[in-house]
Amino acid sequence: MNFFGPFAITVYGITALAMLGLPIGLSMIVASVGYLWMTGMDMGSAAEQFLNGMYSNYIILAVPLFVFAAEIMNSGSMTERLLRFCNVLVGHLRGGLAQVNVLQSLIFAGMSGSAIADAAGSGRMMQNMMTRDNRYTPSYAAALTAVTAVIGPILPPSIPLVVYALVSDASIGYLFMAGVVPGLLMTAMQMAQVGWDARRHNFPIEERVPLREIPRVTWAAFPTLLMPVILLGCIYSGVTTPTEAAALAAAYAVLVSVVIYRSLTWREGYNAVLISAKTSASIGMMIGGALVFNYVVTIENIPETLRALLQGWDLTPLQFLLLVNVILLVLGCVLEGTAVLLIIVPVFIPTAVALDIDLVHFGVVVVVNIMLGLVTPPYGLLLFIMTNISGSPMKDIIRDCLPFLGWMVLCLALITLFPDLVLWLPRLAGYAG
Amino acid sequence: MSLPKAAAWLRRRAENVVVLMLLAMFLVFLLQIVSRYVLNWPIGWTHEISVLLWIWLVLFGAAFVVPDTEEMRFDLIYGAVGARTRRIMALITGIVTVVALVTAMPATWDYVSFMRVESTAYLGIPFNWAYAIYVIFAVAMIVRHLWIGFRAIYGKAPKAYDPTKASSGV
Amino acid sequence: GLAQEARRIRFSAVFSEQDIRAEMMRRFAEGIGPGFAYQGFYGGVLFKQGTELVALQRGNLEMSNIAPQDVSKQVPAWSALTSGYLFRDADHLTRMFASDVGTEMKTLAEDQLGIKILGPTFYGIRQLGLNTTKKIATPADLAGVKLRMPGGEAWQFLGTALGANPTPMAYAEVYTGLQTGAIDGQDNPLPNVDNMKFYEVMKQIVLSAHLVAFDLLTVSGKLWNDMTEDQRAAMQKAADDAIAFSTAEHNTREAELAKKFADMGLEVYAPDVDAFRSHVQKAYLDSSLAQDWPEGLIDRISAL
Ligand code: NA
Ligand code: NA
Repeated sequence: MNFFGPFAITVYGITALAMLGLPIGLSMIVASVGYLWMTGMDMGSAAEQFLNGMYSNYIILAVPLFVFAAEIMNSGSMTERLLRFCNVLVGHLRGGLAQVNVLQSLIFAGMSGSAIADAAGSGRMMQNMMTRDNRYTPSYAAALTAVTAVIGPILPPSIPLVVYALVSDASIGYLFMAGVVPGLLMTAMQMAQVGWDARRHNFPIEERVPLREIPRVTWAAFPTLLMPVILLGCIYSGVTTPTEAAALAAAYAVLVSVVIYRSLTWREGYNAVLISAKTSASIGMMIGGALVFNYVVTIENIPETLRALLQGWDLTPLQFLLLVNVILLVLGCVLEGTAVLLIIVPVFIPTAVALDIDLVHFGVVVVVNIMLGLVTPPYGLLLFIMTNISGSPMKDIIRDCLPFLGWMVLCLALITLFPDLVLWLPRLAGYAG
Repeated sequence: MSLPKAAAWLRRRAENVVVLMLLAMFLVFLLQIVSRYVLNWPIGWTHEISVLLWIWLVLFGAAFVVPDTEEMRFDLIYGAVGARTRRIMALITGIVTVVALVTAMPATWDYVSFMRVESTAYLGIPFNWAYAIYVIFAVAMIVRHLWIGFRAIYGKAPKAYDPTKASSGV
Repeated sequence: GLAQEARRIRFSAVFSEQDIRAEMMRRFAEGIGPGFAYQGFYGGVLFKQGTELVALQRGNLEMSNIAPQDVSKQVPAWSALTSGYLFRDADHLTRMFASDVGTEMKTLAEDQLGIKILGPTFYGIRQLGLNTTKKIATPADLAGVKLRMPGGEAWQFLGTALGANPTPMAYAEVYTGLQTGAIDGQDNPLPNVDNMKFYEVMKQIVLSAHLVAFDLLTVSGKLWNDMTEDQRAAMQKAADDAIAFSTAEHNTREAELAKKFADMGLEVYAPDVDAFRSHVQKAYLDSSLAQDWPEGLIDRISAL
């Protein structure tokens, strides 16, 4: 290993530029151009890799469309009606509103591929409802919204799993299925923790919704509740590819918001598209930058070198997975999730393949790690968002997140140790891995 | 029209463009689903259009629509330091970016224009045109970072970055 | 002076490291002897499928295994070599490239693209694999069948010429597509069917033999021009030997696989191949594609 060779300098360059505040995607492009210059290679290769990579990775088109679908759901009243419906179901339990928060995220997860979209969409509403009349502390409400939002990309559909499919070539259809059991498991753990907190702190009970109100609330939420069914039905019956399902999700959200709920104004619609376009451009720049940097990584044979190194250590598959977990959990504290997926994860894939680790299993383990990174300080996007929404200090939110984080780590350990938990459902559907 | 007003006007038109691109991409997808599953008449060019729109959306959006404050960044240090330090940081990244992209420009141009030898599979669009947006993007980035560096020297620190505004879709 | 520094050969291809062709490349790398530092990138990790030719032309890659379809993007006459029912088998393909007409076609591409073609790398014969049970005898039986073909107009044309409803779909999604019924079938050589486990979600294999699949082992003009006459001869010899090994291996493997799939309970049978051949050849000759083909090329190849 040469610590002053062109490759090492490139890695230092990306790190330094990113630390100095240059956007991550651009940092990768700029530093990689530096590598091409140092090694005397064609500097046009940066454009070549960026453009050809974007042109040939059709599946990634799911990303802007899933972002768009989530924006529409949040702009129209779909999210709001979902909250009211969840209140009918679990509001009367002890800690009812807290359970509503968990349940709402579970259902939202079946329609949206992004944790940020859940927190940003339901976060403010949930925060107001929970903190009204001092029923819950602002930090508890914020922490709960943050930790429940992470279910979003674990259950299908999922933007991080699409990005993982891009770097691993694993089937998106099976990856989506593989997330179901871990997602449900995590939700169950969260409900248990909320139940425990509710008894301990004597959380309030919501007024039972009058019986005659129930059909109306349910009916109002019905088109929204149908969405996960339609979406997953279309993917698994073969009517659409997972990429096309993203467009279908957006179309359905537009249909429900405009025709059924009549709750989307032109201005809201325009803003939803604009925000989606901006988000897509940001993600696209990260993907493009990663494509350029991955060219450098491949030329330098890094993944193969790492594979040889790790195989030299004679790691068992389990030891390797644990090592990856530790590395990703640490990186998740300081790095952004998509960047980890695009830059760090590809380097591990040849080793995973050599150790006969199933790439669908590996993908779910990786994505659960990435999701944990959203709520671990110092750099956790969900923590930032909830600090911003709730106005309570981040350290209080982190404190209230801790028990839930414990459960998430337990869940991560379970799916790492028992691949069957992840692979059971895909196998049921015919997955051969 | 004053300069800031004109800039704001241009920014809004650029926003119109990316909105249209995303909508077009969305509609092309719907067309593809309908033609394949309803009409049992698969069409191939929808793939091509949507991928081209995606590339243009990303590069055009990054060049003209997404402001610095909304790009995905690593802001642990950037967010913690004062305005003066941020000016120095912006100056350094600005210079490095401009030098790298300017140095690479001849080769970038060479590659993109070389691609005229191939055309897209369905619509027959020459790839030098399909890929021209990368050159536009690179030029826009050079100009933007010249401006950032210029402002840093003449006393204006770039705005602190707001992580809740930027999203990588996770 | 002292020993010259070894010339670096970066080779990029889409086949995997476990593929027979990766073994072919190992033999090739041994055969070219010292003086070269061979570095193989498999699985399309360095250059994406279809982008290797430009990389060779621009000197960013020294060697690749490129599809004739990619050559025809820049040299339209080459689309003749990608048409259905042109070659009968691997032997016919090999003889064609060794013949005068083969030399003419190679020269045409080499002169225009600035590359050197070492030879055709056969990797199987494309056969139809369907998840339906209806017997297929003639092109008419494929009417309305959603057949996954690779993206791009040339491939889709072949699907139409076979009488099917061609559907573009990513290779990685074909398994799920067959399973869910998003597509009714795919066309790939049997080794691909085995690698991707398509046989698990197929009911029958129709031995239509509609396309003898091959790529081209190609060297960048830059490297070729820098080599001495001896080195070139040694490299050509190494390529010929390695390709012969790979072709023989593929032939053996295809025979084994046809038997294996039949033993597994799939229907494996030959349709009326003559009916398919005349239907497909007519479709090509009537199409605009044939306008770019050299006069009499198809007949000269058929006569070999
Ligand atoms: Na929630
Ligand atoms: Na989801």
